Amino acid sequence: MPLILVGLNHRTAPVDVRERLNVPETKLPETLRSLMETGSVDGAALVSTCNRVEAIVSSPREEVIEALVNWMAARAMTTREMIEKHLYVLRHGDVVKHLFRVASGLDSMIVGEPQIAGQVKTAFVASQSLETLDPLLNQLFEQTMRVAKRVRTETGLGEHAVSVPFAAVELAKKIFGNLTGLRVLLLGAGEMSELTAEHLASQNVKQIFVANKTFERAESLASRFNGTAIRFERFEEQLASCDIVIASTGAPHHLILPDQVDRVLSSRKVRSLFLIDLSVPRNIDPNVAKVDGAYLYNIDDLQLVADANKELRHKRAVEAEEIIAREVDSFRKRIVAQDAVPTIVELQQRLEDIRAAELDKCLRKLGPISAEQRSAIEQLTTQMVNKILHYPILQLKESSEEPQEREFLRRTIRKIFGLR
Amino acid sequence: MSISPNTTLYLALVLYGIGTICALATLFISDKRLQRAGLFVMILGFASHTIWIGTICTITKHPPLTNLPEAASFLAWSVFAVEMVLLAMYRVQAASFFVYPLVLILLTLTAVVREPFAQIDRSHTSRIFISHVLFATIGIAALMVGVAFTYLSIAQDRALKSKTRGRLWEWIPSLQVCKKVAYQALAIGFSIYTLGIVTGVVWSYETTSGPIELRIKQVGAVVAWVLFAAVLQSAMSGLQRTKRTLVISACAVIATAVAILGIHHG
Repeated sequence: MPLILVGLNHRTAPVDVRERLNVPETKLPETLRSLMETGSVDGAALVSTCNRVEAIVSSPREEVIEALVNWMAARAMTTREMIEKHLYVLRHGDVVKHLFRVASGLDSMIVGEPQIAGQVKTAFVASQSLETLDPLLNQLFEQTMRVAKRVRTETGLGEHAVSVPFAAVELAKKIFGNLTGLRVLLLGAGEMSELTAEHLASQNVKQIFVANKTFERAESLASRFNGTAIRFERFEEQLASCDIVIASTGAPHHLILPDQVDRVLSSRKVRSLFLIDLSVPRNIDPNVAKVDGAYLYNIDDLQLVADANKELRHKRAVEAEEIIAREVDSFRKRIVAQDAVPTIVELQQRLEDIRAAELDKCLRKLGPISAEQRSAIEQLTTQMVNKILHYPILQLKESSEEPQEREFLRRTIRKIFGLR
Repeated sequence: MSISPNTTLYLALVLYGIGTICALATLFISDKRLQRAGLFVMILGFASHTIWIGTICTITKHPPLTNLPEAASFLAWSVFAVEMVLLAMYRVQAASFFVYPLVLILLTLTAVVREPFAQIDRSHTSRIFISHVLFATIGIAALMVGVAFTYLSIAQDRALKSKTRGRLWEWIPSLQVCKKVAYQALAIGFSIYTLGIVTGVVWSYETTSGPIELRIKQVGAVVAWVLFAAVLQSAMSGLQRTKRTLVISACAVIATAVAILGIHHG
């Protein structure tokens, strides 16, 4: 597999270097064209996200690495020495493994984050539409998308929230299932509660009420979520109609008490109430958790959920690595076998020609023979040819992934058997 | 070579066994493929089970409900059918931990008791009797699934309250879905089961021209009806997460089992 990858990511380069190399989607066509012009490349693709920029090319020549480093330096408007220390270079099978890992989210800053699969797909589609992919790169990207999907389906990597706001959304889903049509009450306008409300809003909740000591701040926040601002002293009236309450005020005392929640829940029988207390000191009395139908989580509880999920993701990542190792091996074998097909076909044809010619000579010498005898001789010669070919074909199919080594083996076999 | 009509019964039993093992194994191995494989095998078992029920109907020319093995088999079939309907409606198969073993136990009962295909008298072919057994069986099947989801909603409620995750955390659907499915299955099941009891009383009166005899089956059925009414009431008032509901529904399941086992004795 003559594949080369030159790139940098969040582990090898600081953000100021990454941002200089980052390629916005609109600039992707011209950047890809310039990448193709680096010379000696049969195909090229570019994966560019906020955390990585990677140029992947299909080329049997090692010199292309130099050209790619220079291309990166030129794009970053810096010297070769300056950019080189941030770059990594991968070859052949390592490129396959790396791309599979990247698309599966195993190489991401947050292991298992789902956006990366979409970003790799964008890179694939862009390169496809610009026809910069050769058959090998095309197969590689198609397989990458399949592997990413398989990893997510089989391991569930990325299913669990690893940040506090997402953990709150995940818990809300565990209580209510679909969040569409729910009402959310935001008490106070802390940064974390705002972020949590943002995530909830993205789940199509029906309405968000915002109550804040400063009404203007409540109004401005409510307008962000297309919600309704209410006077802080009147939040209790909305409590009964809401399904999720997020408290994050600077008040030094409890604003929501068990009696209030009990009253609210007894008036609506079967609908639960999810209370998220993100404030310190806490705004919701911990005894609220004892009320039937009320589920109270404070900032520490949510952090624990997020931490447990992180641990779970790491366990799933181990399973994902196993899947990827198997997929890399299978992809390598397939490509090597495909690569060997022309030589194998030629080899088989060459020996078949020899067999047919020699058999013809032999039959002429023998004179008239029965059909059974002729069939036996034909069978014998065919079996001999197949046995002679067995090991050379096997070697060609299972040869090393190193293009030079494979080329050497192919040439040797061609020489031995006198192929053109 | 002729094939025994019971071949499909034993095949269904084996497939249900494998499906149940897969479902229970997912408690320890968190693998969705295993869960899907379990469901697939159970569906194959259900197909084989359906063929067996069809075979009995063809041979005996009456519904397979006239003795204990037939009734247990039809109940198992109905329970799984209800589970499939819920799967199609809500995409949840979390009750598999309860439903699959229940189906397996009921069909094992059928295979173990092995009575000859029933030869029944004319009173058992009347429309009112057939309605009685159909209503009772389908009603119980829905109630069993309702109980399963009641347990799931209790488990989910406790996990959310205690902020700890058990083995079932990932498999159990949201609390709201558990409550909704439990309520719907209990409400529908209870209505159908009530019709089953009423038609049973009418049939008994028509057959014996006198009041209903209170044998073990009848007592079990009536006690189960009262207990299921209490479980349904809890679900309607939003109290289904209490320990009391847990105990009452367990008693209802036991009373139902007593009524099913009593089919032997009229």
